[in-house]
Amino acid sequence: MADSVFLAISVLTIGSAIAALEVRSLIYGSISLMGTLGGIAGYFLLLDSPFVAMFQIAVYIGSIAVLILFTVMLVRRQLIFTKVEDPRRRYAGIGLMLIMMVALGAIILSSGIKTIQTDAPPIDFRTIGADFLTYYWPALILMALILASSVVGALTLARREDMEDDQRTN
Amino acid sequence: MIEITSPPVILIAILGTIGMILPVISILRKEKGSSSLYGAIAFGALIASIGYVVYEVFTNQIPQSALFSGDVLANDSFSALFAIAMLIVSIMTTVGSFNFMRGQSHPAVYYSLILLSTIGMVLVAYSTDLVMLFVAWELMSIPTYVLAGFMKKNPSSNEAALKYFLFGALSSAIIVYGISLVYGLTGSTNIGVVIAGLATLDPQMMPLAILAVGMFIAGFGFKMGLVPFHMWLPDTYEGAPPTITALLAAGTKKAGFAAALRVIIMGTVALNLDWSFALAVIAVMTMTVGNVAAIMQKNISRMLAYSSIGHAGYILIGLAVAPFTILGIQGSLFHILNHAVMKGAAFIAIAGIVVALGITNIDKLKGLGRKMPIISIGLVISLLALAGVPPTAGFWSKLMLFGSALDTGVPSWAPWLAIAGVLNSALSLAYYGWIIRKMYFEGETEKRIAEPKSIIAVMIFSIIFLVGIGVYPDPIIDFTKTAVPSLSALITPSG
Repeated sequence: MADSVFLAISVLTIGSAIAALEVRSLIYGSISLMGTLGGIAGYFLLLDSPFVAMFQIAVYIGSIAVLILFTVMLVRRQLIFTKVEDPRRRYAGIGLMLIMMVALGAIILSSGIKTIQTDAPPIDFRTIGADFLTYYWPALILMALILASSVVGALTLARREDMEDDQRTN
Repeated sequence: MIEITSPPVILIAILGTIGMILPVISILRKEKGSSSLYGAIAFGALIASIGYVVYEVFTNQIPQSALFSGDVLANDSFSALFAIAMLIVSIMTTVGSFNFMRGQSHPAVYYSLILLSTIGMVLVAYSTDLVMLFVAWELMSIPTYVLAGFMKKNPSSNEAALKYFLFGALSSAIIVYGISLVYGLTGSTNIGVVIAGLATLDPQMMPLAILAVGMFIAGFGFKMGLVPFHMWLPDTYEGAPPTITALLAAGTKKAGFAAALRVIIMGTVALNLDWSFALAVIAVMTMTVGNVAAIMQKNISRMLAYSSIGHAGYILIGLAVAPFTILGIQGSLFHILNHAVMKGAAFIAIAGIVVALGITNIDKLKGLGRKMPIISIGLVISLLALAGVPPTAGFWSKLMLFGSALDTGVPSWAPWLAIAGVLNSALSLAYYGWIIRKMYFEGETEKRIAEPKSIIAVMIFSIIFLVGIGVYPDPIIDFTKTAVPSLSALITPSG
């Protein structure tokens, strides 16, 4: 049962990831990305981590993907880059990916990973919260600084320089 | 829990607070006024930070060997050395930017992002937990993605930022993959516990552990500019604003080495892997590719970018011979500190040339020695130090690195590393010499022009540092010695 669910989630995740990259329309691409992020939430559910799955859905699908969708709808649909397609690069990329997948798969299968216990109890989310406020507290502060720098940096880069302040307010 | 007065916590408090306040001040002032004000505030914060770390070192409050800690951060002399190197680079970048940022938009955000990235760089060196290391790595990287593309109307700057971001995101993903593997294998993210867990690992799980170490080498190798993970580096260093290139080449790159020393070397020792030869091959490839490619460049930023790749190869010599002699890591640490100042000074000098003349093509540097004598002499000293010419600081660190490879008699290939290093240094002198020739022996009719004052300040500091350490290297050598035992305690027995 778990195997078939795992396979279904994998098809959904990888399929929508490829679609997100390949689909020409940005809106369909963003919706496909939601599928990938939802698939990852599915993996967390399979791994007995409902708390992480819930956050994956709430944060990634609920806010980030929706934000991307809004941004796509609000910005001007004007091509600023000329797309240069080179089929050789595409095939080289696919070839490299297959080599990586086979190599990683071979390493994982040749290790004794099947003997790992899978009946360990799921981690209590209260432990995660307590860890963040005790052992990981400097990391928590740094995460806040990362978010702040990302927002400040993104706003600066996204701001149009060719508009005067009065134009902006109008 | 880590003490609230320990340097990493104080650095987060000072730099984080000022980094957050700067954009707010800018909004309150309605983005008007001099950009130097924000630079001066950032400079003050950085001076206070480095002052605190140096005070702790001089009052012997920092333990010599605390490589691992039960906490997410360790306050040891190894981290202090990296913290001082990175804070020096950030100060040089900030001061060098005073003139560079004049007339540019969003100066408050610019200085704020430099401060936030500095916290990340410094914290990478202090981290003893993989989650902390990764979070610090991201804090170091994300502001620099923005800074690389800060010149929004310049297509090269946009290209630099995009390439840097894509490769940076890939390297972060690879590092997270490595972290997830070792967490799965050992059940902990604390580096000390991970290393202990790997040392007693079920042999069946060995392939996964090796895969994890390989992931760390690839992930950190991107930032360090090791061949074959170096492709992004020349384009990014050329396109980014030169002051930010100084930060990238002299600062973030060194954070990669700090992480590599803590994680990769320890991991290979714990797994009892003989990776020395592999690291030696990467070292020779990196220094050769960097120096050969540098000779062919016509743009000085691009040339120095390739030279930066070459120097990553020299530093890697110390890591390759680490299991056999403590002199290797000591040499690496010394060269990391020197390279931070040498490369930082060189790129800040280029920023000065760009501000005054708007050129980066080597052919157009004719007569620069007469046009801009102080910046030129600063650039010459940093280039000579990069080549390892005495009496500059670069000579001593290269001597220590190559000497470590010659001294250790255990692996038969080690002396070849020294030979490769010396040959590459000779090669590098050719292209550094070409720049010096253009500056001083061509364009004899050039007249002197006004030089940017903040860049002059950085040049004077760099000349004093590089020649001062070159003449009297003992204090720094002693300091690097105190930083090494923490690593060698683990490394030497396996040799």
